Amino acid sequence: MILRPTREDLKLIGWGIGRVILGVGLIMLVPLAVAVACTEWNTVLDFLVGIAACVAFWLLMENTCRVRGRDLTWFHGLIVASAGWLVAMVFGAIPHYLSGHFPSFLDACFDLMSGYTTTGLFLLQDLDHVSNGLNMWRHLLTYAGGQGIIVIALTFLFAGTSGAFKIYASEGKEEKLLPNVVRTARAIWMISLTYLAIGSVFLFVSLLVEGMTVGRGFLHSVWLFMGAWSTGGFAPQNLNLLYYHSFIIETITLVIFVIGSFNFALHYAVWTRRRTEIFRNIEIRSFTITALITTLILAIGFSKFHVYTTLTEFFRKGFYNLISGHTTTGNSTVYATSFYKEFGFIAMWGITMAMAIGASACSTGGGFKGLRMGIFTKSLWGDIKSLVSPESAVVREKVHHVKDIWIDEPLVKATMLVLISYVVIYFIGGLLGVIYGYSPSVAFFDAVSSGSNTGLSAGLTTPLMPSLLKVWYIIEMWAGRLEFMSVFALFGLAAATIIGKGRGAKAR
Amino acid sequence: MSASRSRRGYLTFAMACLLAMALTCAAARNAGAADTVSITSLIEDMKKYDNRQVTIEGEAIGDILVRGDNAWITVNDDPYSRRSIEEGGELVGMSNVGIGVWLPADEARKVKVLGGYKNRGAKVRLTGVFHRACAEHGGDTDIHALRLEILRPGHPFKHSFQWDKLGAFLLLCVAIALLWYWRAVKRRKWAKEE
Repeated sequence: MILRPTREDLKLIGWGIGRVILGVGLIMLVPLAVAVACTEWNTVLDFLVGIAACVAFWLLMENTCRVRGRDLTWFHGLIVASAGWLVAMVFGAIPHYLSGHFPSFLDACFDLMSGYTTTGLFLLQDLDHVSNGLNMWRHLLTYAGGQGIIVIALTFLFAGTSGAFKIYASEGKEEKLLPNVVRTARAIWMISLTYLAIGSVFLFVSLLVEGMTVGRGFLHSVWLFMGAWSTGGFAPQNLNLLYYHSFIIETITLVIFVIGSFNFALHYAVWTRRRTEIFRNIEIRSFTITALITTLILAIGFSKFHVYTTLTEFFRKGFYNLISGHTTTGNSTVYATSFYKEFGFIAMWGITMAMAIGASACSTGGGFKGLRMGIFTKSLWGDIKSLVSPESAVVREKVHHVKDIWIDEPLVKATMLVLISYVVIYFIGGLLGVIYGYSPSVAFFDAVSSGSNTGLSAGLTTPLMPSLLKVWYIIEMWAGRLEFMSVFALFGLAAATIIGKGRGAKAR
Repeated sequence: MSASRSRRGYLTFAMACLLAMALTCAAARNAGAADTVSITSLIEDMKKYDNRQVTIEGEAIGDILVRGDNAWITVNDDPYSRRSIEEGGELVGMSNVGIGVWLPADEARKVKVLGGYKNRGAKVRLTGVFHRACAEHGGDTDIHALRLEILRPGHPFKHSFQWDKLGAFLLLCVAIALLWYWRAVKRRKWAKEE
């Protein structure tokens, strides 16, 4: 029997979402400060309106939805995470829309969801003339989104609530680095901010060497770091990494997004001096193997086209974009059209495959994730071993991810459910593109890119793309980032509200 | 009679010369325009233009990245390069279209104002060799130019203050004040109940 959520359930969810939106408003203080410092007064107004709207919404939720004496359950946590991202998209899009660089609020929402989910696709028009304040907001939201909006809210706004872990885990991050989830959230921030400081310094020095002025070099270094570390792939100029024409900047960003794509639990293990974890971790092994296979595919593809012929060209145009795709970053050193005109069919599908597989679980990246690929491969290997072993033999496989995990039926089932969900959204997105008249290679490239939160585009994602595709890509980015469970819960809530029976809160 | 005829003859001759000059100028101008290739054409048909001399015109944007004796500048020729959105230009449903140009640093320094949020960048004309995958620059798609011509210098522009946004902000402030008051009343009520 499906139980209808009670009024109290809905109120608790509303209260939780209100706090998430307050978090969004607080993050807007940073671009506001940048806009003030750069005397960009219209941008200042954009952010003031955005912040005021967030605060007003939070107060409204506090006044109307606060339920005394009750804490969030798993169900509430799932809904707060999934619906929270959607509401955060709407409020975060206010400064974008007010900037005048979007013809519709839908386009602004697209960019917001792309930023939060660290995808990196964008519909913003005339990027090369946007203000520093708006550019800071674009990069900051992808940096913040990489850690998880919920993690931000947990860090500051949910301290002391026992339901905190439920919303944390609902955002696609099951792993607790520390016993307390709020401390875990803070540890994630500590790791990210330390890397921000180190990575930005390296980029800043390199940008100065490569001819940029101090002021612009500082801003660009922070933005490039945020875009790469969060595996978002945003850059302040329309040409993305091609703008800099720099081997050193490309190498540094490559290192940053590879490190950024690692699991936070792995980072924490290394921070706490368990360095052997790097070599034993299933995700690192899985990533290495899939990166090697796709590099080989890329090399075969390039050899057919004879465009990028030297080792340097292969590294800067091929390998860089491949790993950018594999880590679901989306930083690019070529034009969008180059993917299908210069790379050719084989290399393009090699990158599409790498994007679909994606990065690590509990990281800033998207895609199937290395952990799931590891579990899937190991379970398949176990099945093959069972077939060739005597009937009485018991074959069990395990993977190592911080600790040894034995592969059992429920784990394989859960893994397969998520894998199939990814394949379904990729397929629907690709099919929609084909129906709209795009070539299959381009349609599937962009569909996989949005569903795996990568951000590379073969030219389909433009402001003139059909609205239905924009909406579908928003759904893909959102569902892919949250790894489906929270999204299923939200649909479940909608169904329960309509067809459910009785008062479900107590039973639940 | 003969004097007036000869004067008319001179006038006719002068007018014919002027007409010829005007036609020559127009033809030269058209020939120049025909020589110019759009960056979109270059990107869409890289194979055709690879290693060929091309001329582009557009707005210099962003930065001049000096590397030794040479420098990189980025030139955009999309509709926003003529009038950016910040300057009041219209949204045309596309992103920027630009290309990196490698040229002598002294030539690049002729550009005094680069396009950005507060500036309209200099309009430049560049002739150079287009590379689909430049061997010298790790496979970058670029143009190697020797000379840069400033067609129109850049300049800063002012944004008009948007009073409607200020009005929206003030309205939201009033809403926040009312909601805050409501919250305080509720809290007092809860405190009494407890």
